[in-house]
Order: sequence, then C-alpha cells, then structure tokens
Amino acid sequence: MTDSLALINLSISEAATALRQGETTSVALTQATLARIKETEPTVQAYATVPADLALTAAERADREIAAGRDRGPLHGIPIGVKDNCYTKGILTEVGSKMLEGFVPDFDSTVVQKLYTAGAVLIGKTRCHEWSCGGSEPPTRTPWDLSRFPGGSSIGSGVALAARSAFGAIGTDTGGSIRIPASINNLVGMKATYGRVSMYGVLPLAWSLDHVGPLTRTVRDNALMLGAIAGHDPKDPNSARVGVPDYATGIESGVRSMRIGIDRGYFLYPGVVDSVRSVTETVIDELTSMGAKIIEISAPELALTRETLLTIRMVESASYHRHQIREKGHLYSPGTRATLQMGEVILATQYVAALRARERYRAAMNALFRRENLEALISPTIPLPTPLLPDLRKPRTDMNNGETPTDGFIHHVYPANLSGQPAISAPGGFTSSGLPIGYQLMGRPFEEATLYRIAYAYEQAQNWHERRPLHVYD
Amino acid sequence: MLRMNETPDPEIKAEQLARLAQILDVEIAPEELAALSNQLHLLDDLEQSKLHDHLPILKMDADWYD
Repeated sequence: MTDSLALINLSISEAATALRQGETTSVALTQATLARIKETEPTVQAYATVPADLALTAAERADREIAAGRDRGPLHGIPIGVKDNCYTKGILTEVGSKMLEGFVPDFDSTVVQKLYTAGAVLIGKTRCHEWSCGGSEPPTRTPWDLSRFPGGSSIGSGVALAARSAFGAIGTDTGGSIRIPASINNLVGMKATYGRVSMYGVLPLAWSLDHVGPLTRTVRDNALMLGAIAGHDPKDPNSARVGVPDYATGIESGVRSMRIGIDRGYFLYPGVVDSVRSVTETVIDELTSMGAKIIEISAPELALTRETLLTIRMVESASYHRHQIREKGHLYSPGTRATLQMGEVILATQYVAALRARERYRAAMNALFRRENLEALISPTIPLPTPLLPDLRKPRTDMNNGETPTDGFIHHVYPANLSGQPAISAPGGFTSSGLPIGYQLMGRPFEEATLYRIAYAYEQAQNWHERRPLHVYD
Repeated sequence: MLRMNETPDPEIKAEQLARLAQILDVEIAPEELAALSNQLHLLDDLEQSKLHDHLPILKMDADWYD
C-alpha cells in the first residue's frame, strides 16, 4: 500500500492491521501524514508545532520493533496529534498563549507518556484556544467549511482529523472542548469519566472539571485510544483507582434491550434547530429499530448546570491565573484575560454553593440512572450546525431571548463535565448543505464501554463517518 | 440591611460585583457583569431552596457513584 491518499484515509485500526500484515510501515504512514500536513496547513492551520524529525525517528523505531515482534498494541507506529496544552518533553508547548511562547517542557504529561508507551508517533501539537478558553480565535479553519466556526477549544485536534493530517488526536474537555469539535468535524470525541485519564502535565483550565480524551474518525479507534491513555496515575491526585477494560471488546454486541433515556424538555429545548432535532430523532429511531428501549425522562436538576459549572470554572480559572495576570497581564489577549479574571469577584461562599449544587445534581443523576436502569442519556451535542464565524457571538435571529451560538454550545455538554459522567459525541448525520451534526451519549461513571457499544451500533448502521470534507479533497 | 434568607436582586448584586471588581482591579464589561450577577442570583436562590441537605463536593473521586 503506497498511495499516500489511501494511507491517510485509513482508520487507526485499519492502519494497525496494514502494519502487521506488512502492507505498509510506520515510516510510510508518518511520511504520508507529514506530506498531508504540508498540503493542508496553509488552509486549515491545525498545528502549532510539527516535530517532523522526531516523528520520523519514532516511526523508524516502531518499524524496527514491529519487525522484531515487539508489538505495543493498536497505536504502535500510528501518527497521533496532541493538543498543545499537554506537556511534551523537548517539544514546544504554548497553549495558544504569548505567556508560554517558546516554552519547552522538560517532562512529558502522563497522557503523552502513555501514548509513547503504546508506540504512537507524536506527529504534532495541535492548536487550541488561548489557555483552552475561548477569549480569542485561533486561525484554524475546518475543512468542512472554512468560513464557519471549527469548534474549540481542542480546535486543531478536530481539524487535523477532518483534514486527514492525523489518525487520532488528544483533546481536553472542561465544558465540551472535545465533544464540540467532534460534532462540528464529523468525528468521535470521548470525554471519559472524571479521573479516568490522568491530567498530570496538562495545563489546567479548571481542575475539578478538566478531562483529557481522544478524538478519532471511528468509534472503534476511539475505544482503542482511550484504552491506551486511561488508568490510575499516582501523580494526579484526582486520578481514579478503577481498572481499565479493553474498550474494543464487545463493541459489536449491539444495543438490544439497552435502556436509553431522553429528557426532551431539556435536551430538545427551543434552541435546537430542526436539522439537529431531526438527526437526533433519526438516531433514536435507528437505535430503537435495533432493539434499544427509549425511556422518556425528566431531570429538572439539569436546569442550573450552566450556572453551577460556570461559577466553578470561573473561580478555579481565576485562582490559577490571577498572579500571572497581575504580573504579566499584557501577555494575555484582552478577551482571554477578562474571561479568566472574572472569577475573582465571586465570593468563597458562592463557590461553595456551586459545589453543593454540583452534589445535588450528581446525586440526582445517580438516582435517575438507577431508578430508570439507564445505560445512557441521548441528546444532540450542540443545538445547531456550526455557524459562520462572524455570527458566533451574535444573538441568534431564530431566538428571541438573546441566545448566541456560543451560549447554545454549552447547553448539552456542560452537564457531563459537572457530574464527571462519561460522554461521547459521534457523527449523527448532516444538514442539507453538508455540515456535520453530532449526537451525544452520557453514561454511567466508568462505563465508557457501553457508550462505545451504542455509538458503534449506530455508526455501522449509517456510515456517516465515511463522509469526507470535500474542500481538502478538491 | 438584608435580612437572613433574603437574596439581593440581580441589580443590587450587579452593583456589589461592580464595586468588588473595582476594589480588586478586575475589568469586567457591563454586559458580562449583568450575566454574572444573574448567574449568581440563580445559584443563591437554589442554595436557599434546595441545597440544605447537600454537602459540597470538595474532591472529585472515583467513589462518588457508589
């Protein structure tokens, strides 16, 4: 297999098989990816740094190991992108900021260390919003439509996969930052249970809400990546001591008799546009036809998840940044500085109130999943297809309450960050004009495998994931 | 003077936040101040009405789902 375009279109699992059957090499995969980066970066700007020489050296090592029978698993020899808020020893880590311009860590984050242990080839550091918050817009563009919002804050991770300039990518998610770019770029994005993947060596946005996770083009690939990066880490005090299953095992078991809940009042609120509503109903119908039971539920505690999460996020972000902002505020863009500083005016008592509200919400979700014996909750990932960039923060013309697209983006994704439950976004369908629409599944804590089973069943029935953005193929 | 169990309305809270922002030398745009005020007002209401039996989560850990 030598055709470069054929190589970069492989999924991780296909590439892994091709490597083991001698049909390709890690060097060939890496060279094809580097060529793809060269070809697409002028347009999409997914990468902050591409350490090509290091990647090729790692690929040569992977080929030697595979040839010698030392198989490190499905990521061995596969080019993977990593969000630029993850420490990488000897490689620039700038988190989209001027503050860290030129910063080269002297150790690896645990997630990167685990990728290396799995034999992955670090192909580059993907761009992200400054300090992983949306105070300023990077130059990154989605190949699905260059004039529209490409997602965030794991913006480069999503775009690199859509542009076929990585086989998988690492993102982080404090309030949807894996799932939103996944939805916009026709990808699978998993925010696993809080504590499932170590945050050690990852620049924080809000400690108690931050998650690391994989973005991929297929559900199976996502399961393979999560398996490689999950697990207890003594260096992260919030890391969970829970065993890591083989997430790909049983992925084909189907959804028969699975109980999937939907709170139509909250998840299909008036801000959800018709195309997204229709795709969500199609996913529900398809899962029903495969034997799942859809359970209509009502969870009134969802109502204040936005206010609760924002209060916690603001205070924790302000706590992390306040001294730096006082000393070197000019190294933050004004929008980012304002976003990160606002939490300073929230009282300690109000922060504790938010922590109590979080407990109330988490208890309610636990009770709901138990009472209804649910495997998952289903919803859209975001309420509308990605908007034109100039419209991102303007009140929507189809709403009369001043809601902007940015406001709407957090409606479905915040609840899982607040409770720490796992949540996945996967391709659900397309608008008539060809924009991807994702759907979300929230699951029981540490039961990511169940979400993969459901998402895999729908993926196999529809194959939306096989659609490619024509822009970068013309 | 506010009585116990009385939550200041969002306008009063916005004024308080503006004063606090000034003291702390934190720049917050008026519309963001109004949004923050509303956010905290809703949380205050929730705290008074529904959080009596809920302790704060001080550490996210793996045991929470048991």
